[in-house]
Amino acid sequence: MRKLSIKRISLHATGWLISFLWVGLASAVLLFLADADFINSLHAFFKSAFGGRKFAYLLSTISRAALIIGMAMSALIAFRGGFFNIGGEGQLVVGGLASATAALYFGIMGPLGIIVACLTGMAAGAVWAVLAGAMRIWLGVPILVGTLLLNYPARFIASYFVNHPLRDIASGMPQTHLIDKSMWLPLIPGTRLDTGFILILGAFVLVLIYCHRTVAGYQARMTGYSINFAAAAGLPIHQISLRTLAISGSIAGLVGAIAVLGLHHRFVDGMLVQPLYAWTGIVTALLVNLLPWAIVPAGLFFAALHSGAAGMERIADVPKEIAVILQGIIILFVASSKTADIRQNGPAKEKSE
Amino acid sequence: MHENRVDLFGISVSFGNVCALDNVSLGFRDGEIQALVGENGAGKSTIMAVLFGLITDYQGEIVVNGKASAWRSPKDAIKSKIGMVHQHFMLQDSMTVLENIILCNEPLNYFGFVDFKTARHQVRSLLKEYKLSLDLDQLIEDLAVGQLQLVEILNLLYRNSTVLILDEPTAVLTPVERDQLFSALKRFKEDGKTVILITHKIDEVFSIADRVSVMRSGKLISSSTLAETNRDTVRSQIIGKARHKSSKRTKSQPTTPVLLLDEVIVPGLSRDERPLSVNVKKGEIVGIAGVSGNGQAALVEAVVGLRQTTSGAIFIKGKDVTRRSVEERRRIGMSYIPEDRQKTGLAISGDIIENSAISNIQDPYFSSGFFLRRQNMMSHAEKLITSFDIKVASPKHLAKTMSGGNKQKLVVARELSLKTPLIIVENPTWGVDIGASSFIHRQILSMRDAGHAILLVSSELDEILELSDRIFVMFEGQLSKELPISGATRAELGKLMLAKNSTSFGPVGEVL
Amino acid sequence: MIASLFDPSFAESISRMTVPILLAALGGAICQRAGVFNIALEGFIIIGAFMAVLGSYFFGSASVGLFCAMAGGVFMALLFAEFHLRRAGDPIIVSIALNLIGFGLSTYLLRAILGVSGVFQHDGIKKISNIHIPLIESLPYVGKLLSGQSLLFYFSIIAVLFCHAFYAKHRLGLWMRAAGENASGLTSLGVSPKRMQFFALTVCGVLCGLAGAQLSISNVGLFVENMSAGRGWIAVVAVLVSGGRPLPLLGLVFLFGGVDSMSLRVQGFGWPQQFTEILPYLASLLALIIVSYKRLRKDWATKGIKIT
Repeated sequence: MRKLSIKRISLHATGWLISFLWVGLASAVLLFLADADFINSLHAFFKSAFGGRKFAYLLSTISRAALIIGMAMSALIAFRGGFFNIGGEGQLVVGGLASATAALYFGIMGPLGIIVACLTGMAAGAVWAVLAGAMRIWLGVPILVGTLLLNYPARFIASYFVNHPLRDIASGMPQTHLIDKSMWLPLIPGTRLDTGFILILGAFVLVLIYCHRTVAGYQARMTGYSINFAAAAGLPIHQISLRTLAISGSIAGLVGAIAVLGLHHRFVDGMLVQPLYAWTGIVTALLVNLLPWAIVPAGLFFAALHSGAAGMERIADVPKEIAVILQGIIILFVASSKTADIRQNGPAKEKSE
Repeated sequence: MHENRVDLFGISVSFGNVCALDNVSLGFRDGEIQALVGENGAGKSTIMAVLFGLITDYQGEIVVNGKASAWRSPKDAIKSKIGMVHQHFMLQDSMTVLENIILCNEPLNYFGFVDFKTARHQVRSLLKEYKLSLDLDQLIEDLAVGQLQLVEILNLLYRNSTVLILDEPTAVLTPVERDQLFSALKRFKEDGKTVILITHKIDEVFSIADRVSVMRSGKLISSSTLAETNRDTVRSQIIGKARHKSSKRTKSQPTTPVLLLDEVIVPGLSRDERPLSVNVKKGEIVGIAGVSGNGQAALVEAVVGLRQTTSGAIFIKGKDVTRRSVEERRRIGMSYIPEDRQKTGLAISGDIIENSAISNIQDPYFSSGFFLRRQNMMSHAEKLITSFDIKVASPKHLAKTMSGGNKQKLVVARELSLKTPLIIVENPTWGVDIGASSFIHRQILSMRDAGHAILLVSSELDEILELSDRIFVMFEGQLSKELPISGATRAELGKLMLAKNSTSFGPVGEVL
Repeated sequence: MIASLFDPSFAESISRMTVPILLAALGGAICQRAGVFNIALEGFIIIGAFMAVLGSYFFGSASVGLFCAMAGGVFMALLFAEFHLRRAGDPIIVSIALNLIGFGLSTYLLRAILGVSGVFQHDGIKKISNIHIPLIESLPYVGKLLSGQSLLFYFSIIAVLFCHAFYAKHRLGLWMRAAGENASGLTSLGVSPKRMQFFALTVCGVLCGLAGAQLSISNVGLFVENMSAGRGWIAVVAVLVSGGRPLPLLGLVFLFGGVDSMSLRVQGFGWPQQFTEILPYLASLLALIIVSYKRLRKDWATKGIKIT
């Protein structure tokens, strides 16, 4: 192992600086195309990401960050286990739909109802992810395409349920009835921030422990490094694979449940798909290069990017999709930086001995 | 004074801080077979990579036909009629023999479409000229190894290469195929071509070469005609210091069988699916020799539990494990040193601690309940590092940062530290430098002396002869009769390893 | 029953599903054969669709629209090449990024340049003309199908057939196959595989751009946010299932198109729209499962069943 010389550090830093310059240049071009006032847009961006009366915008950034961090954890656990699960969206949607159904029709109220709804959502998300895992193991369907293709049925099934059997017809919208107030996630006193982010932080701590301290997390990581290695060492790789996907899917399901119980208080068609929570989560997990602790700051960063962009749309008439574009550009640079070691299951890249 | 076809003057190459080639000068003549010998990592392949344009960052000068030349890529070397057959074949599996031979040198019709008729005609006359035979319409994936090599060579001849570089061409060949290759090389020589043969086998040098150049740790040690040197000189030049003699073997005292394969049929092993029976007793090493690719991998997988068998039974320590998983077999008393350390032996992206405890992580020493005992994992890794003299700064380093020999030592250390009654060993010194390799051999022998049963599968005859107590030879998915070590000779083993109907390099046949 | 297959809904699904998916899948297949795992087809298509509308609207000409669509597709392909081939980024991550950029950029520019959100429809958008072939038109059943389709329908069929011959007989075809199969073999023969892969990506950009143009300026003449709606992913499945071979790809895409036309029809029976829209995705998933399972079984037969 070579020591970090000043030359190497400065090379590294220049690399990052150049990437930042590119991102900045892209933003400038985009703002120019939208014919926007530069200063005004920047001001709007920062105000809407972090400011607001009583920090209302900052709180909404945090609430968005909670969902993104959740989806990032879901992606990260699967990636570390060697599964390129890009079907987080489907798992999120079935989780949200299941928890809304549980909250509306199981007849359990109050805190117990919240727990039941969350667990139902997690179970549904887990089932959806395990489905892709089963297709991989017993039918040979590649996990990447398998998880992705399951997004569409999830979307359509959810859309069918909120348009037909579960629809709140009186509202005139494709959405379910409002769930009982006793099952809304309580707000942090004195603010309008719901406690969903506390649930996510709790899950985050569990994920950290799982990744670094448990036998299961260790075995999953080893399987992710090399499935042949795990098999030859005698690890039950099918069981580990399905367990990894189940955990990944259940976290996505939990995020769905939190969005339903804390944010919207009902399931609205497209409410989990359009904000691109799942894809932003995947992008966050890729950005941090599978380092679990780093997903919290990275998730906050992307949430701020989205909130800020939404503010630019309101105030400076810059379309909010600028956030999605910048997110894509950032990931392009991350993918091509030499430190990225994200897909370990690929061919071993090593100089010949 | 002879005019050399190719001259290399003062070539130096370094990778990072490591000096791979140090001021090496070599000359190659027309109508001469020059052998380039040396241990793994001596720099043979590196200097050929420079000559072939695969390495462009070097110091020194390449002179071809008296003209100083600098390559930007293999393309330039190819233009100067230099051709190379690589150790790993560079063929296109789903294309036909003809397509592979003409690839990148196709005769064209209109608009860049290939004129296959002319191509076929040209290749046929080449085959006739060198008295070779080959079915041009077969797919590469259906060919035997010896024929693959022929296709590679024909590709060079088709491009009118005058300098042929062959990198370890005999590593995958049976003795008969090797003889056929050599007689073809002699015909090329008579035709005035320059042949460069990279090898680490001294016997081959003295059976075919005209000139031999020895390399050691990046330096040229000597370059002389065969008449000027002899085997012992070359051997000592290759090794440098005296080779470490393997420890004196005690006679084995095999007692009860630890591994028993009873009429086992492994699917995909051979066409007619004949059953295999082997047993390995306590305190002995049973060697399975054979050219790689004859089903050894499948047999090992079946024994280890990575592959299902369709009939017969496997017993470990008397327990029927035919339907048991790898984990259960390991728990009963098996450990496994796989051939491929990059993908199977190690998780190279993981650190050494993680790699050290993988097979017995459930052991209460390494974990309590759901949680890891990381201190113990760390100290176990340190123990492996010191006891096997693995060269790495700290157990926290990633496995991929180690050299090949140290990686292999780590795999062997981990598996032997389990001290299981049965040890499955698959090509334990493949691509490992001489020091690490004799160290590993000593460790395996001491395990035998300590009463462990060892199944050794290896394609290196020397390794088999050095370690085994009893020997089987595997050919096309079948095992030969058993040979005790006392009666086994290289010649006899070679005969058993030989393919029945290999005509790749035979004289011109009726096929044309 | 058979006759009803050839009713107008089939012709519609050809233009709405079959042709875009075929063009995109052909592009993906060319990448696949050259050894580039490109799953950014969705992003390529949506940029093509947007650029087609943009060009057609501003210049009042469908040909300019087609040209802009190709340019848009090639722009995405160049990004892919820069970050995957030159900077050695993982193709899957690059694809994910480009899919996001494709969606984001088309939606952003829709508002920034055309000033609308959601849908852009205008009489100024000139559409690609349909081609009527006199003799074939009068054939029973198939006449309506094979004639009067968009220019790109005929182009896509010819492109597939040409591609088939190209791989078998053309020098570049051989080189591109070699780049995908054993790239170091090609390098050792003095041809740069990256150059072949760059060529493949560029062609893929052109084809995906045209796929987008077929969506936006062939029948409808409008652009809708996210109008590729997963077609790029169905194309990816078609590439995987066909193994990148042009002729099986053709059959497969027509199969998916057929399923889509059925789904259009069963909507008439009062099935909920969500169930019918899902059919093409389920069909592609099913095809993927069948082929994957076959490969798995073949693996088991030749390499033995691995217990794991």
